[in-house]
Amino acid sequence: MGRRIDASPRVHKLARYALAIGLVALALLISLALQHSFGNPFWFFFSVAVILSTWFGRTGPGWLSVVCSILAVMYYFTPPIRSFAVTPNDLPYFVTFVACEVGATQLISWRRHTEDALRRARDMLEIRVAERTVELKNANEALLKRMEEQRRTEETLQATRAELARAARITTIGELTASIAHEVNQPLAAIVANADACVAWLSREHPDLAEARAAAERATQGATRASDVIARIRSLITKATPERSRVEINRVMEETAILAAGQATTNRVSIELQLSPGSPIVLGDSIQLQQVILNLVMNGIDAMTTVTDRPRTLTLRSELQDTGHIRVAVQDSGIGLTEEVKGRLFEPFFTTRSKGMGMGLSISRSIIEAHGGRLWGESNGTGGATFQFTLPCEDGPTG
Amino acid sequence: MKEHDPIVFVIDDDRMIRDGLQSLIRSVGLRVETFASAQDFLGTKRPDTPACLVLDVRMPGLSGLDLQMKLRDDGIPIPIIFITGHGDIPMSVRAMKEGAHEFLTKPVRGQDLLDAVQKALVSDRELRQERREANEIHARFESLTPREKEVLELVVAGLLNKQIADQLGMSELTVKTHRAHVMEKTQAESLAHLVRMSEKLKTATRK
Repeated sequence: MGRRIDASPRVHKLARYALAIGLVALALLISLALQHSFGNPFWFFFSVAVILSTWFGRTGPGWLSVVCSILAVMYYFTPPIRSFAVTPNDLPYFVTFVACEVGATQLISWRRHTEDALRRARDMLEIRVAERTVELKNANEALLKRMEEQRRTEETLQATRAELARAARITTIGELTASIAHEVNQPLAAIVANADACVAWLSREHPDLAEARAAAERATQGATRASDVIARIRSLITKATPERSRVEINRVMEETAILAAGQATTNRVSIELQLSPGSPIVLGDSIQLQQVILNLVMNGIDAMTTVTDRPRTLTLRSELQDTGHIRVAVQDSGIGLTEEVKGRLFEPFFTTRSKGMGMGLSISRSIIEAHGGRLWGESNGTGGATFQFTLPCEDGPTG
Repeated sequence: MKEHDPIVFVIDDDRMIRDGLQSLIRSVGLRVETFASAQDFLGTKRPDTPACLVLDVRMPGLSGLDLQMKLRDDGIPIPIIFITGHGDIPMSVRAMKEGAHEFLTKPVRGQDLLDAVQKALVSDRELRQERREANEIHARFESLTPREKEVLELVVAGLLNKQIADQLGMSELTVKTHRAHVMEKTQAESLAHLVRMSEKLKTATRK
């Protein structure tokens, strides 16, 4: 396509001039041949020669054909014949002929220029369009490639995430199993040792009933302990309704603060207690509630281990609400929660720590919900996070 | 109970297991002392009698294996019976390599433990006997004068009186006198007995 624009200049200049001379010669021959039948037809054939020369040969050959035509007409067709002279009689006619020829070549030349310009413009446009099309196509391909890459990365990410989750779950199950095995095995070992001792005391020549009884009692205690362990595991797994008793929530919080004191000191965290007046009572399982608070406190302490630009303070607050609920809040000045973390806080096996099961908050929420309450976490405006839960309160404080 | 009665030390952080093991071992007439931790055991003065240790591998603080190492480093030879939960195979291998007497898995069958205890006590008694004999021989040999020791060395090496006299530059009669003193002081009944005692002493000091 691009080649067409260069075609005309490439046609040999001489060939174009030769074409002009040839056409004029042809017109001359035809005019000479026909002059006896048609009178003076020369202006018609010469005009055609000029028009064609100008059209195909451009301006130069056009002018050449005009000059040649005029000379030929002067020589062959204006009296005196076979001379370049023109009689005054024929002058108006001759001048008209010259004007016609000049006009024709000018007009055609101009037309041809316009035509060429138009074609060049069109070709240019086509080239541009082609170029842009190629560019667009490339861009499109690149985009598709990027999308494909993206898709593949996402797939890999998804697979890795699934793999990680599975690994975490397996590890957790492994840890749990090992821990359960140990917890159950201890009382079993005690039962076996004591039962064997009991038999041994009874098998003596003079059976020692007191010793045998003591051993048997210890065996029973061991069995009770084993069944407690199993009950605890079962309640953890089935999230059974917790045991309900009257719990002084403030006291549970105080005890938790004492339990966490060692960890807090190690991490240079100060624990502040802001307890609601009176002794609000909730119905529930004090051990489980303490687990929840301790879990939140430990999380808070962990979140502050990297903080160096502000005091590491953990505030434990309880507040009676108008709705008859008590609100327990654990506020830290730690790293806070990103949106991503916030959205997944309570997912089982989700953790931001390198060592951790990611079960703490998930279990805590189950416990609070089983108590008819709600547990949630949010970022503080001033940095750090606050985790809080509400629990329905028993009517009227005691003590 | 007499002071030199054998004694079994039970170390386990779980009170119920500790009491059970104690009762079990006491039921066959053995003396038992229990400890809640390895540190407690180390802090107690132990009577000089045949003894063995029943030791839980997994304990807070000093673990059973730690205690084994410490006793070995302090040169306190006492047979150890380890008790362990499941999944402690690398541990048991290590303990056996370090010379544990027995390795039992929780829950331990009473008879297995008692058998292990009896075997350990017998072994300890024998070891103690050996050590005592070695000490006695050592004491006797120490009572010899330097000259007598020189004569002893050559006698045990199988030299004749004449050869010994030549080597030490003394008369044959003097050698005979020294030799008689050696036999008397070491309470050797014969030349063969003397050689045996000398060998025993050498092995004991090598240990």
